[in-house]
Amino acid sequence: MKISKEIISNLKKGGANFFLSVPCKLLANMITILEADKDIYYSAIPREEEGMGICAGAYLGNKLPCIMMQNTGIGNSVNSIVSLLQLYQMPVVFLISYRGTPGEPVGAQGGMASITEEILDTLRIPMLNCSVQKDLEKISTFTNHAKVIESPVAILCNFNLMKED
Amino acid sequence: MNRFELMVLLQETLQDNLVVCNIGLPSQELYKINDRPNYFYMLGSMGLSSSIGLGLSLSIDKNVISIDGDGSVLMNMNTLATIGNRAPSNYTLLIIDNGSYGSTGDQKTFTNERTSLKNVAIGAGCEKVIECFGNETVKNLNKALADKDHSYVIISKIKSGNVTIKPIPLNPITIRDRFRKSIGLVSYL
Repeated sequence: MKISKEIISNLKKGGANFFLSVPCKLLANMITILEADKDIYYSAIPREEEGMGICAGAYLGNKLPCIMMQNTGIGNSVNSIVSLLQLYQMPVVFLISYRGTPGEPVGAQGGMASITEEILDTLRIPMLNCSVQKDLEKISTFTNHAKVIESPVAILCNFNLMKED
Repeated sequence: MNRFELMVLLQETLQDNLVVCNIGLPSQELYKINDRPNYFYMLGSMGLSSSIGLGLSLSIDKNVISIDGDGSVLMNMNTLATIGNRAPSNYTLLIIDNGSYGSTGDQKTFTNERTSLKNVAIGAGCEKVIECFGNETVKNLNKALADKDHSYVIISKIKSGNVTIKPIPLNPITIRDRFRKSIGLVSYL
């Protein structure tokens, strides 16, 4: 719970105030925290691509949105990232549980893990890789950076960082 | 009535509201008929008009209308479940259902066969769902906007068919900035 609390607190410190999630067991504690938080908007949603659209609308309404999802969700969202968020230069924070990184028990997650950073690189999306607790300190500045550069940014939380939380 | 004719009829209601409009011909028609800063024209990401409008309506108090098409809703059908569970009363989804993918050459959609978006919306949890003919759309849209307690999904059944029209010449950042300015929340634009 300690790691999840710190992540949410730093996202909020960076200005994020509108949260969506598509579930992952590594995100479960963050979801519990957000459900109880009355200062921000939070909802679960069925699919990541739809979430990109909702985030775009929230940005138009002057929010700084954050969508939480597995790295698989990036695969579901490529066109909506390029043809909506990047086309109109909309800041959105992707908080990604990085399934398939060392510690992962499910072998099938390895496929998307092996191309996740390459996809984000191809999309020219700035990445913050969090593998130890110390890395979490950078989240608030990185979140605000999305707003400054008017672009999506991706925060990747590795399996081993999250599994003990 | 085809979509262009319906778009003309809708102007009196749309022009003073925040409107998110579906990609392709619907946006191009809206632009040609009555370009307004409070109209957000989608230039990409087919399927997400309903979602963009929903995100906006959750963030501000003003009425928001998403104009979508049957083909686009079929592409992002989970949106109806999210709307059914989360849409605030200032949100209206207007689905212009002409039973065809108009922007890509009028190929038929499943609403032309067995699929009823009205039944899907009801099953997905949307409380106020109205299916009507094109000429009843303005009346129903006005009713939806006046109701401060409920969100609405309106499905307007019209004929397929398109007019010849040019792409929107506006830069996406121009569309974004003038739209945000028209909401009145952003001071630096």
